[in-house]
Amino acid sequence: MNGDDATMMRLMRAAQNGDKQAYAVLLEQAAKWLRRYFRRRIALEKLDDLVQEVLLSVHAKRSTYDPDRPFYPWLAAIARYRWVDYLRAEYRTQTQELLEDTASEESAEEPVMARISLDRLFDQLSPAQAEAIELVKIEGYSVAEASERSGQSQSLIKVNVHRGIRKLAAIIEKAS
Amino acid sequence: MDDPTQALIDRISADAAPVRPFRMGRGLALAGLAFVVTIIATLFLLGARHGLMSGEFSVYFVVVNGLLLVLGLSCVTTVVAMASPHVGTGHEGPKWAIAMAGVLPAAGVLAASAPDGVGLLHVEGIHCMYMGLAASVLIAAALFVWLRRGAPVSPKLAGLYLGIGSGALGSVANGMACADDSIAHLGIWHMAPVVIGALVGRYVISRWLRW
Repeated sequence: MNGDDATMMRLMRAAQNGDKQAYAVLLEQAAKWLRRYFRRRIALEKLDDLVQEVLLSVHAKRSTYDPDRPFYPWLAAIARYRWVDYLRAEYRTQTQELLEDTASEESAEEPVMARISLDRLFDQLSPAQAEAIELVKIEGYSVAEASERSGQSQSLIKVNVHRGIRKLAAIIEKAS
Repeated sequence: MDDPTQALIDRISADAAPVRPFRMGRGLALAGLAFVVTIIATLFLLGARHGLMSGEFSVYFVVVNGLLLVLGLSCVTTVVAMASPHVGTGHEGPKWAIAMAGVLPAAGVLAASAPDGVGLLHVEGIHCMYMGLAASVLIAAALFVWLRRGAPVSPKLAGLYLGIGSGALGSVANGMACADDSIAHLGIWHMAPVVIGALVGRYVISRWLRW
């Protein structure tokens, strides 16, 4: 199964028309893509929960996909929205294990995928904000531990996490 | 694929009822209908201003309502688009329209506070502000319904544009009945619904746009 954008557009159109089989294939491809999409930006034990939440959002909001437009930028907007929600949530993971940068599927669409990636969104933050969010919200360190590791004061860590997430929420649809 | 994710896919794909895809045209038609109904209701309830039917307009009337109309259309078009998320969409249009229309309150305050001006507060102005706000309600409701059914991923910005757009178009509708053409009146009291709409949209309505 080739999950390129043209195929996904076709499957999504069929899904909007009530084709259950096409919808199942689309969701399976979307789930695989989402696992790659969130790599290194979410703790491993949270990954499946986040993927499932995005799939539920896709299902609830599938009518908002415009069949004339590319599929992945629509899916990426929903994925980013849910991811920022996850970062906002007050959770602390015990493990610091992140998904390794598993081989991404090289394809002619790679430049498009790069434009909608989470890394590109993260690049919009200041280095201090990105570091604070990575340490506290993704790797699960306490504010005190993050302060020790980064050299930022505890209050600065809190401010950078707060401002960084607020900025991420404001630029969800930004491509680069 | 892990079992819970596959089980979820099996469950929701079995629930794949046909849906009607969002189209910009339908959202714009909904907002346009609300605007037209608002104008008709305003003319019916308040009556048309002198010279409206015969095409006699003052320069200030044309400039202020023209700018408000552009501001309103820009915001409404963006709000309709925001219901269908898409990475790579800037939503930059309204920013320029807001900057452009921002000149009006400054001109209004300058004119009202001049030695021969009418002053910043007067009863007719407050009445006009209320009418403009009342005229924005139906347009705001149409946009709110559209966004609630959609998937706005920037609820704060969507709420802000919803408030500004409906306030601006409500003010235009009210302008069809208002007889005062002074820049002091138009720049302050016909812009007030836009400012109030922006605040309500950004800080109140946006809370109900999260999903």
